[in-house]
Amino acid sequence: MTPEEPDLQATDELLTAVSRGEVAGGDPAVRLLAALVADVTETAQRRSSVSMTPSA
Amino acid sequence: MTTGPTLAGIMPIVSEGSVADAKIGVRLASRLPVRADDSELRELTSLAVQGDPGAIESLLGELRPMVVRYCRARLGRVAGQYHIADDVAQEVCIAVLSALPRYRDMGRPFASFVFGIASHKVADALRSSVRSAVPTQDLPDGPDEGPGPEETVVRYIEVEHARRLLSKLPANQRELLLLRVVSGLSAEETGNVLGMSPGAVRVAQHRALARLRQMVELESA
Repeated sequence: MTPEEPDLQATDELLTAVSRGEVAGGDPAVRLLAALVADVTETAQRRSSVSMTPSA
Repeated sequence: MTTGPTLAGIMPIVSEGSVADAKIGVRLASRLPVRADDSELRELTSLAVQGDPGAIESLLGELRPMVVRYCRARLGRVAGQYHIADDVAQEVCIAVLSALPRYRDMGRPFASFVFGIASHKVADALRSSVRSAVPTQDLPDGPDEGPGPEETVVRYIEVEHARRLLSKLPANQRELLLLRVVSGLSAEETGNVLGMSPGAVRVAQHRALARLRQMVELESA
């Protein structure tokens, strides 16, 4: 059965919010996705002091 | 690998703002930077293809954080670090730069071109034995400003739980969620990578999330 449009819209907005780091809390599955996004993002910031610019 | 002189000075420094508090679940204190929309990316791409150094730098600045997140989510940590995933992300960026002069806008989002390359690079990395070579962390010069041990453990458990659940999804649903949620691609861009319409992506992502929720419920029952 195809999901209803409002449900699709709600999921789309929720996943967009998770991808942008805008979600605080939510149901457990959403929290886990948000945790994964935060994990793969945060350490990118922590490595930011390492310049990837090749020396000339 | 030779990157050529055009790379000098254009590989961006990753700088993303997110803070997570694992003690209270997940709370992102500051949202991730808003990425350029499709039309901005298209314009940047057009200039970058013509060799405009500023456009190339801006384009990579937009794409690289998404590529890093994708590679990290797909490859995970090795010995607690994302070195391998970050190296693969770097290879993807270099491959994109190398391919730029030959890129022709066929109406598809540029991000789909990038993640087509990323998907292949990740698959190559998974097949290769390079993962056995694990660099060790340098001794830090100052205090570690990262999360403390308790927070680190809680977060590690959550993230590994997320990975475990994602690994149980059908491959197409898993890839879709990684592109759409972890990398932050739009439904259209995700669809272009996976060969689906934006509408089909929206239906599939709804089903994938429902399946994740069902798995979490079953585990806690």
